[in-house]
Amino acid sequence: MTRFQRQLRQTLTIARRDFIATVFTPIFLLFLFAPLIMSSFGAIGGLGAANAADGSSDKQRMVLVMPLDEARLVRAADEQLRATFPRDARPPAIVVVADPVDPRGQLQRRDFDVSAVMQGPLDRPAIFYAAGNRRDARYLAAVADVALRRHATGEARLSTPVIERVSVSTPSQGGQKTAAFFAVFGIFFLTLFLSGQVVGTMAEERNNKVIEVLAAAVPLESVFLGKLLGMFGVAVLFVAFWGTIITQVGQFLPADLASQAAQLVPAVGLGWFALLFVAYFTTAYLLLGAVFLGVGAQASTMREIQMLSLPITVVQVGMFALSSAAASRPGTWIATLAELFPLSSPFAMAGHAANRPELWPHAAALAWQLMWVSIFITVGARLFRRGVLQSASSKPAWKRLFARG
Amino acid sequence: MAGDWAVTAEGLVKRFGERRVVDGVDLAVPAGAIYGVLGPNGAGKTTTLRMLLGIIEPDEGERTLLGRAQPQDASDHVGYLPEERGLYPAMKAREAIAFMGALRGLDWRLGRTRASEMLEAAGLGHAADEKIRKLSKGMAQLVQLLGSVVHQPDVLVLDEPFSGLDPVNQERLERLIVAERDRGATILFSTHIMSHAQRLCDRLAVIAGGKRRFEGTVEDARALLPQQVHYVPNHPGADIAATLPDDATRDGEGWRFTLPPDGIERTLKQLIDAGHGISGLSIERPALHEAFVHIVGAQAVETAR
Repeated sequence: MTRFQRQLRQTLTIARRDFIATVFTPIFLLFLFAPLIMSSFGAIGGLGAANAADGSSDKQRMVLVMPLDEARLVRAADEQLRATFPRDARPPAIVVVADPVDPRGQLQRRDFDVSAVMQGPLDRPAIFYAAGNRRDARYLAAVADVALRRHATGEARLSTPVIERVSVSTPSQGGQKTAAFFAVFGIFFLTLFLSGQVVGTMAEERNNKVIEVLAAAVPLESVFLGKLLGMFGVAVLFVAFWGTIITQVGQFLPADLASQAAQLVPAVGLGWFALLFVAYFTTAYLLLGAVFLGVGAQASTMREIQMLSLPITVVQVGMFALSSAAASRPGTWIATLAELFPLSSPFAMAGHAANRPELWPHAAALAWQLMWVSIFITVGARLFRRGVLQSASSKPAWKRLFARG
Repeated sequence: MAGDWAVTAEGLVKRFGERRVVDGVDLAVPAGAIYGVLGPNGAGKTTTLRMLLGIIEPDEGERTLLGRAQPQDASDHVGYLPEERGLYPAMKAREAIAFMGALRGLDWRLGRTRASEMLEAAGLGHAADEKIRKLSKGMAQLVQLLGSVVHQPDVLVLDEPFSGLDPVNQERLERLIVAERDRGATILFSTHIMSHAQRLCDRLAVIAGGKRRFEGTVEDARALLPQQVHYVPNHPGADIAATLPDDATRDGEGWRFTLPPDGIERTLKQLIDAGHGISGLSIERPALHEAFVHIVGAQAVETAR
């Protein structure tokens, strides 16, 4: 058996132990269903917030203080313009007050909230609005203008459009950028959830003194890689479980939503994009995991490991921010920086796959990222050997060199 | 294997800070032997063993393990019981043994089968499916020991294997070490308990203050000190010091002195001629313990304590 084969076998032995030790515990179920618990709380919170928001928007009105015949013109124009807004962004409903009243006083009404008040005549309307409702005031101005135009033309439509829906085969720039953002966000979200777990895995060996047994039998680099692969196996299980569920749920999406999703056509094509997404998730996990494992291995107590969670999250969010900027500005220096910097490279290259059709940069990027995984593991193992196993010399080699001189 | 040596070390040096914990240690462990590394606490035994196994790198010197300059290249043929015992608490005893075998290249299934047999033979068959955290300290220690030999290593390195064991388990461990040697394995173990070393070791090295002070057989070590004569006269109260050699000291009702280089006959004749007679007489060889104290110096032993 060659040295490589032996180390591979040892690496997989450690990976297997860690995978089994993690998965076959009751805590793992809690971990597996954490997104369900989290989204349940989110849904409950969101529902409450939406109800509160709907309630307040239901109670909001715009008031017209004008004669009924003018108000009728305004209502017709409102009906025409209102249809151009998405359902959840439509302006408040209009209430007409025919009697002469103080328009400013309408903003103080207690039976409902008034966002804006318009007082005729339509060719010179006076519009008043409460703070934060400037948009509604401008809307009322536009409605008055349209109402007057329609009235001037005898309420006949000057334009009779024919609207037809056409399927577009070429990916849109916007769709690509959105796909790029989703790719970056998707990998960030998964690594945020999963790669941070690696940080405390060496603590078990240190606390139970098993590290001495492992270090005597297996090169530390294999121990580190084995632990990383073991936890990556856990992550893959997690992703596969939720990926299957989300795919099944996706079949029941409304056709409208499904057609919107179909617009997210990445530049390399869906098949390659899916493959590259998996590859970049793998390298992102291994890269961040290798760094976290190396740093976490230096910590000797759970308290120290817990203290590391903040810098870990900051690093991940930093990489996400850099890669998001890169995804929205393909071809710029910031995109190149994000694609080259090892820790952001997988995120940025996933975005690159959505924006650019060439495949060869991905082969180079994956090789580059895997090289950094091996560098991080090697450095982490050496730091562990020097610091924890006390294999360090009294002085660094360069100092000893000078001392001899 | 390089010639007849299972393990060699030449000029091993290890510094922690400015302190030379191991200071130029040479070792040559013959294949198939039980080899003891003796020394007081803090002598550098564990550090030496860790360097021999490749857990830590020496600052100076060279070592080979089963002929390989890089010890971990031989790891599949080596078993190791560290001084600080360590097992995964959530693992079952059988799995823990199989896992340690798997790290050294043993097939998992075969490892489990052997683990069951070994646990049964050690009287721990009932604990095979118990988690380590539920075993007593002694039982867990035995499980780890079995894990270090489950793959039938060519070299077995045991660091202070007897510490923490009760007398029954100490005897069981001695039998296991001899059985491993009889199987053909080389056993290298460290200890500061001389009785085990005296019974087990084919050869031994004594380390103190990071340096090797002695290397040879148990008999070689004991031969460093002259034999002692214990003499009891017919009248224990009589003052006979003038008739005895200069180093004679009282020992109960008798006297103890070093066996003279030319033998005991002349001294005995003088004692008989002076009318002291012989109530008891024995010539004793020093134990390894005395030889050890002689080698490392009584002060070093006290300091280590």
